[in-house]
Amino acid sequence: MAGTAWSDRLRNLTGRRAGTTPVADPLVADLQQALSADRVHDSGVHRALMKKDASVFTGGVSGPLCYPETTEEVQAIMRIAERHDRAVVPRGAGTGLAGGAIPLGAPIVIAATRMNRIVDVDLDDRVAWVEPGVVNLDLTRHLQPLGFHFAPDPSSQQVCTIGGNVANNSGGPHCLAYGVTNAHVVALEVVLPSGEALMLGGLDAEPLGYDLRGAFVGSEGTLGFTTKVAVTITPNAPAVRTLLLSFDTIRDAANTVGAIIADGIVPAALEVMDQRITEAVENYVGAGYPTDAGAVLLAEVDGLADGIAIDADRIGEIGRAHGAIDVRQAATEEERALLWKGRKTAFGAIAQIAPDYYLHDTVVPRAKLADVLDEVYAIAERHDVLVMNVFHAGDGNLHPLLVFDARIEGKLDAVHAAGSEILAASVAAGGVLSGEHGIGVEKQAYMDQMFTDDDMDHQGRLRRAFDPVCRANPGKVLPMGHSCADIAALRSVPSEVWG
Amino acid sequence: MDLHLDAEDLNSCVQCGLCLPACPTFRVTGDESMSPRGRIQLMREVQDGDAPLTDEVLRSFETCVQCRACEPACPSSVPYGHLMERTRETLADGGHITPGWQRVAFKPLAHPQLLQIGSAALSVAQRAGLVPKRLGLSAEIPFRQEPLTASGTDVYLFTGCVMDAWQREVHAAGQRVLEAAGFGVTPTAELAPCCGALQAHAGLADDTRGLAATMMANLAPDRPILVDSAGCGAAMKDYGHLLGTAEAEAFSARVFDIQEWLADHLDKLPQARPLDLRVAVQDPCHLRHVQRVHGATRAVLAPFVRELVELDDDGMCCGAGGAYSVLEPELAGAIRDRKLGAIDRATPDLVASANPGCSMHLGAADVETAHPMELVDRALRQV
Amino acid sequence: MSPLLAVDDPVLLSFADEVGASGPVAAAGRRTRWERGGALHPDTRLVTAPTGIVAYSPAEMTAQVRAGTSVEEFHLALAEHGQRSALPERGGTVGGAIAVGENAASSLGRGRVRTAVLQIRYVSAEGRMVSGGGPTVKNVTGFDLPRLMVGSLGTLGLFAEAIIRTNPIPEVSVWLRSDDANPFAVPTTVLKPSAILWDGDQTWVELEGHRIDVVSEQGRLGAIGSFREADGPPALPHHRWSLRPAELASLDRAATGAFVASVGTGTVWATNPAPPRSLDLGVAALTERMKHEFDPTGRLNPGRSVATA
Repeated sequence: MAGTAWSDRLRNLTGRRAGTTPVADPLVADLQQALSADRVHDSGVHRALMKKDASVFTGGVSGPLCYPETTEEVQAIMRIAERHDRAVVPRGAGTGLAGGAIPLGAPIVIAATRMNRIVDVDLDDRVAWVEPGVVNLDLTRHLQPLGFHFAPDPSSQQVCTIGGNVANNSGGPHCLAYGVTNAHVVALEVVLPSGEALMLGGLDAEPLGYDLRGAFVGSEGTLGFTTKVAVTITPNAPAVRTLLLSFDTIRDAANTVGAIIADGIVPAALEVMDQRITEAVENYVGAGYPTDAGAVLLAEVDGLADGIAIDADRIGEIGRAHGAIDVRQAATEEERALLWKGRKTAFGAIAQIAPDYYLHDTVVPRAKLADVLDEVYAIAERHDVLVMNVFHAGDGNLHPLLVFDARIEGKLDAVHAAGSEILAASVAAGGVLSGEHGIGVEKQAYMDQMFTDDDMDHQGRLRRAFDPVCRANPGKVLPMGHSCADIAALRSVPSEVWG
Repeated sequence: MDLHLDAEDLNSCVQCGLCLPACPTFRVTGDESMSPRGRIQLMREVQDGDAPLTDEVLRSFETCVQCRACEPACPSSVPYGHLMERTRETLADGGHITPGWQRVAFKPLAHPQLLQIGSAALSVAQRAGLVPKRLGLSAEIPFRQEPLTASGTDVYLFTGCVMDAWQREVHAAGQRVLEAAGFGVTPTAELAPCCGALQAHAGLADDTRGLAATMMANLAPDRPILVDSAGCGAAMKDYGHLLGTAEAEAFSARVFDIQEWLADHLDKLPQARPLDLRVAVQDPCHLRHVQRVHGATRAVLAPFVRELVELDDDGMCCGAGGAYSVLEPELAGAIRDRKLGAIDRATPDLVASANPGCSMHLGAADVETAHPMELVDRALRQV
Repeated sequence: MSPLLAVDDPVLLSFADEVGASGPVAAAGRRTRWERGGALHPDTRLVTAPTGIVAYSPAEMTAQVRAGTSVEEFHLALAEHGQRSALPERGGTVGGAIAVGENAASSLGRGRVRTAVLQIRYVSAEGRMVSGGGPTVKNVTGFDLPRLMVGSLGTLGLFAEAIIRTNPIPEVSVWLRSDDANPFAVPTTVLKPSAILWDGDQTWVELEGHRIDVVSEQGRLGAIGSFREADGPPALPHHRWSLRPAELASLDRAATGAFVASVGTGTVWATNPAPPRSLDLGVAALTERMKHEFDPTGRLNPGRSVATA
């Protein structure tokens, strides 16, 4: 039942009506010559759609949009960008929450979505070679019949790309036991802004040289464009148990989390949701989450059946000792899947409550979780903003979710003010600005709460070694004055999208 | 330009992007302008941002299959299908989309005799090799068919337009199955010539409203209306929303997919030896994503075949999309390629699909398909 | 700047003063890997990193430790609370372990050094105290300087202090040895072995976890060979080779001499030195740019290079 090679015929799908309008912009002409006319877009539609990602940030101005399909095409784009003195911004699925993919200064947007092949699964080395546009969950599904999966599982895993995971060093609920993306990337083929293609890291035990692979992961697209990734594949655990613990207060839930870790258990995941978010989630998935509890803790242990039975019982005991009013285990795989579906779609589900949300992403020591949560609720109340909390409790990764309607005058200001206080409270408790979403354009201004000028200067040096003129995703991560955030590309006059 | 979209509906999208992988056109193009999130953003740009209706904007709207797989994927319950239908209606009213030839092409749907004559002509043309295969028409359009006759008044069986002209044997099978379960069946025939689904998708909602009114006036208000075409069923269940009247709401509440109905009356179906077949279930989008009763297909089919097997593509569209496969053959073909891959991996003997459009579109790629009712009927009639 | 993150430890500040801003300088630990990366320029002034565990929070599974502290001492402190870390115990210091970046023989169970360093504090070529990373187990704030520093041989900065991720010591740890098992069958037989070592004849497997799991895993290993309990891992030859896991099956004793290979990671300890490795030209150029950015005058560990390590 083999199909026709229709994909070869997917030509000029969006431009068909436009006919053969001559391209006036020499940048676009060069790009179209290097790729093909149908994979370089400069229309109002495309530039309008590229100006945003999943964050609340606006103000992006996109230049031409390119869909390269090979490393060589990415190299060509970089060289053209250099020739035209234009910045470049990588884009995966556009699910970032810190504005990392927002184009500043009308850069060339390089979309990874058509570099989406799973190139090879190497069971001997236990790695998979993938292109950056491969969707995270697609990789795991591809590995499923072989008995493996890709461990990082951000909540957006059904849509986010591996390239995006590399750029953001993405986490996810199961990174508590398995580690974040950095621990699962062994080698990277990248194209530097100079157009040079390099292989960083390697499949051998201890690759020679500086860990440039490690430096690249999490650099938010500011060091170059990832064209191929070797990720470790993780064997599926033969057994898994998922527990749902209910509490009267979120303090009890938070303290339970600390006690579980202190007990020496390393669960696969420990997730907490407060009452408001649990209600919204239950409304969407109907997974049986208790909507009358002050907070719920979703705990998962995986491994060998006997050992995790011990861990699951122990988690239940610890929960009850810390005030759990109910402890239940998912009885079937369907029940477990539904509980996780609820957790992972929590952010989207809040639109039932208000049209806009701003999701924060700080990390605090587990021992401070309860106190910082109290503070978060108090801050939100002071600013008259609705806050919900749903977070990776096991590693102290808070996700305060500020829910609002941006059309109400002054609301966005209140949200930003509350957000900045939440950041300050987290750092003051011994935490950090971001656990997994990144800095992007969102938290640049707060970097000095964690780093001295010398610290940021050294981060800038790392950046410059890869990208001396800061052509790759300028204006991100480091605040103005500490990087090349103000390069010529950013000063270029933004062109009108619908011009 | 005002697209007449409800501001609250439009605002309910928080642009999280979780819809992207569910969207067939995004899956095959990787292009944001071919995704639900992108299309909603463009609706905003047009309605709130005064963006001009460029060709690219119109292409973005026109290329939507309207499979509505993005709706169950959306945690914010954005009413995407209604937003897109409204957008198309406004654009069609303004003459921006759905050119005259398409409007003319939809006309015979509401006129059974015209359709029968056209079909007969098409049948002849097809046998003469004059119909390009890429149009995705079923392997053989019947030249003439046996009429259906009423066997009682327990339920209506909606027969509709194209399906009645081209796949009447499916209706016949459905009717026999219903009768085997003890229901007297009235085929709707000329009482309800067409549901108007294709017209609504093309933005010709007024045509649909007219057809809905005809149907509601012609059908007795006391019995369930069973539908064996997923697209028609979804459209008829939406009359309440489309007409906004209590009468239409009540009518829609009486509409059931035939599998949905039988799943609730499984005990009435006689037992039979299962067909010796490994059957893959291909869920029509409007059964799975809109009516969300695809579980019923499995419940009804399972006792009558050796083995049911799921496709691993989360119910992704096959690319048929009503008239879509004819209007957008490249995209429809690329989307079908993904479906063919999933079917290959499932290694079935045949594919069960409860929608005529899907069957024809898959049939054009040499996939053997059968309506679930045909399979049940076959099992019941075997000795 | 959060006061919690500001460097006000006088011990660290005086180390920075000692390193100063001019003249060739290197930090000496226990010199267990002193030859790595080439010989130091003879005029190089040697300094010693400060010692001591600054803060240890077992519940957070993090420990803040000064670079001159020995790994053994560090692990003794952790063991008091039932924890350990990924740093290898081979007689060296914490700073040395980070600078060299070698993983422990049981790295499958204990983790890699490069993922264990949460925060690094070092003295820059300009004599400034610089911090990278952060105190929490999860953190993506800013560029990842800790990753860059692991294995950098002190050529980008001299380490003063680090925050290291700790792990619970499992209920049971047992080493098993077999004369007849195929070592490459072990990864598909047991779920999470902490080490699989192979010397060409015998196979050692370290199993850890709940007693009940270890016992059942031990039973599963019986299917691929006869395993007996062993005192511990075999003695590891001096030289270290870095191979791909898939390359181990074709190891040649004529080239390596006697060896012990870590199945699943690709590390090989051998009596013969590893063949010289070199960086791809583009990576070598990037490496040089990196060195130049961090140490423009080349005063840190002069003569030593990661490109020849």
